[in-house]
Amino acid sequence: MKKRKVFSLLLAAAMAAGVMAGCGNEEAPSTGGDSTETPDEEGTPDDSEKPADGKVYYLNFKPEADEYWQALAEVYTEETGVPVTVLTAASGEYEKTLKSEMAKTDAPTLFQVNGPVGLASWKDYCYDLTGSEIAGKLTDDSFALMDGDKTAGIAYVIENYGIIYNKALLEEAGYSAEDITNFDSFKKVVEDITSRKEELGFSAFTSPGMESSSDWRFKTHLANLPIYYEYKDEGINTTDAIKGTYLDNYRQIWDLYINNATCEPTQISTKTADDATADFVTEEAVFYQNGTWEYNNIADVGDENLGILPIYIGVEGEENQGVCTGTENYWCVNSKASEEDIQATLDFIDWCVSSEAGVNAMCKDMGFVIPFDTNLESENTLVNEANKYMAEGKTPVTWVFSTMPSEEWKNGVGSALTTYAADQTDANWELVVEAFVDGWAAEVAATK
Amino acid sequence: MKWKNKVSVVGTGIFTLLGIAYIMPILIVLMNSFKKKVYINKEPFVLPTEKTWNGLENYLTAIDKYELLSSVGWTVFITVGSVLVILLCTSMCAWYITRVQGRFTRGLYLLCVFSMVVPFQMVMFTLSLVADRTRLNTPWGIIIIYLGFGAGLAVFMFCGFVKSIPLEIEEAALMDGCTPLRTFFSVVLPIMKPTYISVGILETMWIWNDFLLPYLVLDLNKYKTISIAIQYMKGSYGRVDMGAVMAALIIAVIPVIIFYLSCQKHIIKGVAAGAVKG
Amino acid sequence: MEKAMKRYMPIFVLPTLCAFILGFVIPFVMGVGLSFCEFTTVTDARFVGLSNYVRAFQDTVFRHSFWYTALFAVVSLVVINVFAFALALALTQKMRGTNIFRTIFFMPNLIGGIVLGYIWQLIFTGVLEKYNTALGLNEWYGFAGLIILVSWQQIGYMMIIYIAGLQSIPGDVMEAAQIDGATRLRRLFLVTIPMMMPSITICMFLSVTNGFKLFDQNLSLTAGEPSKMSEMMALNIFNTFYGRTGWEGVGQAKAVIFFVIVVGIGLIQLRLTRSKEVQQ
Repeated sequence: MKKRKVFSLLLAAAMAAGVMAGCGNEEAPSTGGDSTETPDEEGTPDDSEKPADGKVYYLNFKPEADEYWQALAEVYTEETGVPVTVLTAASGEYEKTLKSEMAKTDAPTLFQVNGPVGLASWKDYCYDLTGSEIAGKLTDDSFALMDGDKTAGIAYVIENYGIIYNKALLEEAGYSAEDITNFDSFKKVVEDITSRKEELGFSAFTSPGMESSSDWRFKTHLANLPIYYEYKDEGINTTDAIKGTYLDNYRQIWDLYINNATCEPTQISTKTADDATADFVTEEAVFYQNGTWEYNNIADVGDENLGILPIYIGVEGEENQGVCTGTENYWCVNSKASEEDIQATLDFIDWCVSSEAGVNAMCKDMGFVIPFDTNLESENTLVNEANKYMAEGKTPVTWVFSTMPSEEWKNGVGSALTTYAADQTDANWELVVEAFVDGWAAEVAATK
Repeated sequence: MKWKNKVSVVGTGIFTLLGIAYIMPILIVLMNSFKKKVYINKEPFVLPTEKTWNGLENYLTAIDKYELLSSVGWTVFITVGSVLVILLCTSMCAWYITRVQGRFTRGLYLLCVFSMVVPFQMVMFTLSLVADRTRLNTPWGIIIIYLGFGAGLAVFMFCGFVKSIPLEIEEAALMDGCTPLRTFFSVVLPIMKPTYISVGILETMWIWNDFLLPYLVLDLNKYKTISIAIQYMKGSYGRVDMGAVMAALIIAVIPVIIFYLSCQKHIIKGVAAGAVKG
Repeated sequence: MEKAMKRYMPIFVLPTLCAFILGFVIPFVMGVGLSFCEFTTVTDARFVGLSNYVRAFQDTVFRHSFWYTALFAVVSLVVINVFAFALALALTQKMRGTNIFRTIFFMPNLIGGIVLGYIWQLIFTGVLEKYNTALGLNEWYGFAGLIILVSWQQIGYMMIIYIAGLQSIPGDVMEAAQIDGATRLRRLFLVTIPMMMPSITICMFLSVTNGFKLFDQNLSLTAGEPSKMSEMMALNIFNTFYGRTGWEGVGQAKAVIFFVIVVGIGLIQLRLTRSKEVQQ
């Protein structure tokens, strides 16, 4: 009886707090609403050269950088008086959010596309960035996303991914990174660790979570490799019909991931990237396929223990392959925004990559390598580890997954991978192949 | 007589067990809301142990990081506001269209009945567009959207009731020199009290739990309802904090239980009455 | 009286009318119109005739979602109503605590679909893990899960309606049957059920329409996994519309088809209830 009373008291308290929070918040929006009006009142008097009329609304794609963008936006607003709103879409939801936001009156002034495919649907909304200040700061023209003669997007981050590993654990198992030079040697190490799992107290791989918020690691990033090699063979950089020449390799590596992980292959549909991070940080697994952006979340393992390996899938000559390097983050300025907002947005992104505060936030806090001449030496161990492969003269794998026909295609492959993992039969792998090859053609046709 | 008593005792026993089983899902979530997040998916049916106990941490995360209390606040605001507005406006409208016969009122009535069956997906995009263009994408504005989209059912139910009120009372009031407005508030409104309760409860249940309409209409940068906040947490950022989700589920259920326990008689009556008419 | 009232039309009708036009009439008309157009954000809408409808009907996933939804509606109709009716019968007997039990069984009905979905997701995931499988691996797990979920949610609601119906059966009819020596079972089938027909029709149609319109629970419990095989119509429409570029028009066309189906069910209901009323 007593417990019940305590509980009901708690409930009452929670309710009261809820109501009060509700009231408290009612005031907040009104200041938010004001911010759209205040520039008109105070913008003009002090600096006539650059009136702070416009506002910036950034629809951010990278969830892991969200808090830093929020902070940076605040700094910018304090410095210039220009209001900056940052909204981050939940992962896997960018396309949906972008569409519903773009339909609104206060549409994002700054948004992202992932590459040529994303550009195709949004090119009418991309302001031509040719000749803008930020475009002039790019270290290489290839980092600009072109739509004919128009500079439609500008890459703002270069990232790497591969197989992150824990050096200490690998050593404990009796190996070092030198032992892994191709798929076969990798497989040997992995399977040896699995066979001694009990004795070692850790598994080879973190859980390959295929929960819909996290399956991009495999349906997109891992799938990049078979596509990359096929493009390389054919000497192309995009296609309307994928052949799937390297899908057997895709299967090999996927088998390795799912059968040597911390969890049963039937459980992966419920696991998230967060679970995998937890596995890695708690030292329950040696290998973790992810990218340099994950650094902040796994730094607890210790810089000296972090390394990154290329993803070998058993292709001839892969000893010379480096990690996957590229970008799927292009900034685009909404051409349908008002002129003041466009100008404010251009000023904002230029400030991000040129001012000290901006560059520091991007390079240090977010741990980005930015393709601008202001880039700072990275403090991100994973970035530095990845750069070693470049220094050794290995060929980085380019990010060709931005040529995947649609989200729909990725989802199809992802679901098929999950089904296959639960019941690893040839028939189920056929479904993956079908989703990969036929799905590609179908999606290309459907979105044309 | 004795035999009957026994049956009733056994019945009570069975139903007690059934009742406990029935609220089990909520209890399981409650139990998990006190566990550390990594243990929730691993062993959801085990009571928290010293190792897995996380105290009120999850609640604090849900409240601090995901600003759940403000979502609760907005949901309360939107629900209460919309229901009050719906009750007032639609009952007046219903009285008018039942008492004044004509092509216009007849048409309006049919349109309302028609709108009851239209699934939300039919208008989801266009409605959110209208809401955006007319700047009704705030918790204040959405009240008008709810009035518009929820008018059908309410008008229909009120009309059903008004028809059963004898005309004489109103006519007497009007004869006495009351304006229709006064007649409505001092004569009709008190008679309709039970209907107000039924309609109010049905609309409350709908609006409180609604997900898609506020999700598409509200300016999500500023306002989230509980359902939206939870959906965001689950889809959020590739890293789902199960602990916070559990806490959020409990926080979402608590106001409902309080509301239910404090006026359950009305709710049950309201539902029964509403269904028979609808 | 009418004359006096007509002058007050603006006060009585106008607020509701304006909101109704804004919140229903305009979106509805626009929605029908857009189903014949190709568009991304309306400003660029272009008339394309019936091609959206053709694409909608050609979409195998959409066709699958229709059958899946229809089956779901039927199964949930049977399960919910049988249990609700049985509970209503039991809880109208003389027994201690019937009020508390009613309270408990009705409660889940007040919880929102999103919340319900995540509550049950935790439980199903935990149970299925013991059998080394998961909710997203098989569309029929999702199906069963959704059935359990909506039953849990709606049985209490339907039960309340049935109880109201049972209590309105005049006592003398029952007594007469008892005196005639009818057994309990015969009384149930020959007296109670026929007398309850109005309540039964209402509940059946409520559960069918609820089944057809199910969205929140579907989104939160299965999100269509695996490979959209557990995607019901409402979710399919939403995903087509917001998830795929270039398919907005098709999504809107699907919504119109969906609307026609739901209205069709509503019309059948109207017919049935009307004819029943005549009989009585």
